[in-house]
Amino acid sequence: MSAATALAMSAPEFRAAGTDLSERRRSGLSCGEVIDLAASPDTIGIAWGADGAARIGALTAIAAIASDARLAQAYPGIAAAAQGLATPQIRHMATLGGNLAQRSRCWYFRNPQIACLKKGGSDCPARTGNHLYHVAFDLGPCVAPHPSTMAMALLAYDAKVTTDRRSGLSITDLLGDGSNGAADNLLAPGERIERIELPAPLAGERALYKRAISRSYAEWPLVEICVRAVISGGTFQQVHITAGGIAPVPLRLKASEAALQGKPADAATIAQAAALATAGAKPLPMTGYKLELLTGLVRDVVERIAT
Amino acid sequence: MTTTTVNGRVESLPDDPDALLIDIVRDQLKLTGTKLVCGAGVCGACTVLVDGAPVASCLMPAQAAAGKAVTTVEGIGAAQLHPVQKAFMAHDALQCGFCTPGFIVEATAFCDQWRATRGTAVPSREEIGAALSGHLCRCGAYDGIFRAVADACAGRFDGDNVAAPRIEARDKVTGAAKYTVDINHDGQLEGLILRSREAHARITALDLAPARALAGVIAVSLLGDDKIVRYVGEPIAAVAAKDRKSALAALAAVKLSYEKLPAVVGLDAGRKDGAPVVFDKASRKRAGNVSEAAGGPAPWKQNIRGPTAVFSTRAKKARSWVDEARQASNKLLVEATFRTATQQHACLEPHAAVARFDGDRLTLHASTQQVFHLKEQIAKRYKLDHDKVRVIADHVGGGFGSKASLGTETIAAIELAREAKAPVRVAYDRQEELSVAGYRPAAELKVALLPSEQGGLKALSVTAHADTGAATNSTIAGLARLIYPAEAKELSDFDVISNLPPGAAFRGPGGPPMAFAVEQSIDEAALRLNVDPIALRKRWDPDPNRQRLYDWASGLDIWRNRKPQQNGRYRRGIGVATGYWLYLWQPNVKVEVAVKGGRIVASTATQDIGTGTRSVLADTIAREFDLEPSDIDVRIGDSSLPEGPGSGGSRVTASVMPPTLQAVRKLKAQILEQATRKPAPGSNAPWRELIARSPDIAVVETRGEDGKNTAPGIRSPLREVGLIGMVFGWMMRRFSNIAVGAGVPSSVQVIEVEVDTWLGHVRVLNVHTGIAVGKIASPALARSQACGAVIQGLGYALYEARELDPKTGDVLTAGMEDYRIPGIADTPEIDVHFDEAGFDHVLGNSVGIGEASTVPTSAAVANAIHNAIGVRLTEIPIRPDRIVAALKGRDAA
Repeated sequence: MSAATALAMSAPEFRAAGTDLSERRRSGLSCGEVIDLAASPDTIGIAWGADGAARIGALTAIAAIASDARLAQAYPGIAAAAQGLATPQIRHMATLGGNLAQRSRCWYFRNPQIACLKKGGSDCPARTGNHLYHVAFDLGPCVAPHPSTMAMALLAYDAKVTTDRRSGLSITDLLGDGSNGAADNLLAPGERIERIELPAPLAGERALYKRAISRSYAEWPLVEICVRAVISGGTFQQVHITAGGIAPVPLRLKASEAALQGKPADAATIAQAAALATAGAKPLPMTGYKLELLTGLVRDVVERIAT
Repeated sequence: MTTTTVNGRVESLPDDPDALLIDIVRDQLKLTGTKLVCGAGVCGACTVLVDGAPVASCLMPAQAAAGKAVTTVEGIGAAQLHPVQKAFMAHDALQCGFCTPGFIVEATAFCDQWRATRGTAVPSREEIGAALSGHLCRCGAYDGIFRAVADACAGRFDGDNVAAPRIEARDKVTGAAKYTVDINHDGQLEGLILRSREAHARITALDLAPARALAGVIAVSLLGDDKIVRYVGEPIAAVAAKDRKSALAALAAVKLSYEKLPAVVGLDAGRKDGAPVVFDKASRKRAGNVSEAAGGPAPWKQNIRGPTAVFSTRAKKARSWVDEARQASNKLLVEATFRTATQQHACLEPHAAVARFDGDRLTLHASTQQVFHLKEQIAKRYKLDHDKVRVIADHVGGGFGSKASLGTETIAAIELAREAKAPVRVAYDRQEELSVAGYRPAAELKVALLPSEQGGLKALSVTAHADTGAATNSTIAGLARLIYPAEAKELSDFDVISNLPPGAAFRGPGGPPMAFAVEQSIDEAALRLNVDPIALRKRWDPDPNRQRLYDWASGLDIWRNRKPQQNGRYRRGIGVATGYWLYLWQPNVKVEVAVKGGRIVASTATQDIGTGTRSVLADTIAREFDLEPSDIDVRIGDSSLPEGPGSGGSRVTASVMPPTLQAVRKLKAQILEQATRKPAPGSNAPWRELIARSPDIAVVETRGEDGKNTAPGIRSPLREVGLIGMVFGWMMRRFSNIAVGAGVPSSVQVIEVEVDTWLGHVRVLNVHTGIAVGKIASPALARSQACGAVIQGLGYALYEARELDPKTGDVLTAGMEDYRIPGIADTPEIDVHFDEAGFDHVLGNSVGIGEASTVPTSAAVANAIHNAIGVRLTEIPIRPDRIVAALKGRDAA
């Protein structure tokens, strides 16, 4: 093991519920100091502003987000994403902040014996090796997709992140544009997420979340999307489509959004928009299939939004 | 110091920030019902309740439980069994039982909450599937789990009555059942294996001294005398220390130097001319074995061992007919190349052994499929007297073929314990279990199938190359000899050796890949001949057991109402496939049936790996004496008992049932002879009275030959193929202690799928599995095995693949999130049909079910997908990426 890798693996880490960290501690991937995060009223629970906007503490459990009736009413895409990730036991323990700040699920990264960019290494072994479950939008040196489903859903809602040092960060400010292969997020050392602020919901907006997987449950997404839109006078308005599992960071599918904006909510429009979901894609040799799945998902979810 | 409450008792928590809740429960409190399997929150085996909510204790920091109430499986049924536990017992919702405590904990929480809000409404399969989606069962007990949870919620198990078709079920639903990993002797050390990081290297120096210099550390070398490692993960040394953390530190202290050798990884690279050679001539005996029996001689050049083609018949004719048909563009000639994936056994209990020496006596607890044979192997290897070695396996958390040899875990535990003069446990972690503990080799199969102009089967050619890693002896193509007689067959098997861990026997070795290729080819021939696929099998396959199954299958409503290929996004299809396995039994197996202290006791040195061996013995004996199975004490899992069979080759039932029945007959005679008082006239339990008053008597019987009188068409499949078959049978018996009996255990499956053509997802809607393995000894347990076989087959067909780094051979799917086995929500409705004829020549009329029942599943799924979308998927697993690739460019919806 190189000195850089040893240094990367011994960095101090925050621990919320530990659903990601405990596994990395057991495997030896994380061997530095552990700093447990204690909840305060400001960092746990869901609070509502007078304008109907929600604020979610970083230590709020995923299950609490998944089962909150008011949240499901106001931000159905966020509630559905929380319901769709991991397993019931994990959702019960895992927190929103932990979900955003979790480390990559790449099978090379997770093997402490193999050097990679995210562990102080000089190249990405997945790029030249086996990247079956990796990115189809090749935006940076590391080809692992970002693992956070919640980040993908929050991106569709233009959520803002507050840390102990900064506020008003967009999801892109938090996670970057995928060009930094060495990190899973752009938090400074020792900086921690405190809460997430959501803009007030739009009148009449709808949203859905769905992931494509091989089994029925409990699988990291091959591709996942969140679609949010207002349908007014039979046309799409305020369309937000975000996708995960396909790029080093969650992506807005702007070409698909533009193809729907102001257009009639019919099958032909939707099929056209779905075909544009892959605009800008750069698949790896083994990940071309993800583009077919992305197209299928956009068509599926937007059709259901429109009905 | 902080505390938590566990099952009502206040317990202290350590300050160590890395201590996890499972460490407290299992190691500090010795509550071993909670199991550690994946260590990643995927499988749910470690589930406990924290303040009433299920959590994965393998991820929860111990300190997070401070001030909270923890309930383990031991706390759930402590006062009286929970309705969920009774329902699991009654519905036989378990097999090996290793995942069961986790399921019980989660299901009781679900049931209690359901009852509190929904009363006795019955939850749907979808609701149960979602609630239990954080749990995995490798035996595939999901069908029973659905029924158990639904009935418990519906209030059908609120009463006191507890009945279980599986006699050890209570121990498994309460967490009382002890597995090898749960053994904890005083002063026991924890052993770990140092493994190669290189795919191919010569170890030039191994220095254990720095590890041995650490306090309390024992270290031994595991290197072979050629000092060459041939795959990433090959054992180099073993260390033991007081706990895992200290042992890890000792591993890190070992000093190693090596010289890298050129390496080659996988089926395609291994076959290339000039590829680095893995085993030179002198080292070939070091290769592992991927079959249930020893192999015969075969040509071996560089990394290719083969062809093994002894099962061919008129091979040259087959080749020339196929060549002619190809040149003539004969539309009936079916030719295709199929690829199957590497399937990991993924036993939930890892390979594990605990060795303890008392003077010169060795007691070994092992997670093994062969307590008796393992004892003999150990005695031979370490030159110990056979009566000084005892191997114990009370419960085994899955095996599937991977625990049928003297493995590194056992060797390391014995050698460390001998050196340490203290007991040592070696238990593989999940990464080891999913990389170096064996697998069903991937294969490439080239098939050519030529029907005759009269509609018969003229020629069949199958060439199989198996990706066996550092092992040999794959038989896939050869298995096509014993089904679908043809005028000529060319069947060639090759092992492709490369710098990968050795494959091992896996449930019907070679059977599922053979069926995947041949059964799809038969299906394709039926299409071209415009004949119903079942009718064509009935025409081409004269085996009397399968003839009856074909009649059953063709009468199924689902088959009769089959539709042609569909359009639209979701398309449904129905497929059929056939499978078989040999009827194997083990000579010299002995069973003792005795009266001891007024009870019947049956003893034999076999083991129960989840298949239900205890119950087969208890049910059989109970029927003979007109008693309840619970009246019979069954002693197995201990090599000091009379010689019993290994749990492999589906041989246990057929090996133990005949001597058991013979022993019962003799015991009955002796009880009557020695009875001082006859039972009361009209007694409805005469044997109960006689046994209760009988002096102690023991009868030991040995498995004898089967009767010669068989039903028409029932013959030894090996005799059927002539001299080579008889030679093969003789070799099996001589070198592997396995006899091949007459009659062919068989399965025919009809499967319906739905394909989502947009997202590439295949949903299996229902499965009809018809099985002919003779009389069913324990019906509920046989049904569990039949369902589990289908579920494992669905995993093989749709989800499971070992993924590798193409250069180093590092196994990337070394965790349960990346190695994808079926979950409960992936389980279809399963209809099991037992045809109980065909084995009247076997005393007891029963043969094994385990392997025949899993062989056809992947082919039936592929045929169903073809029926749905009109595209033949020739490569498994049939994942979304493969479905969308197959449909690309076609008219999608």
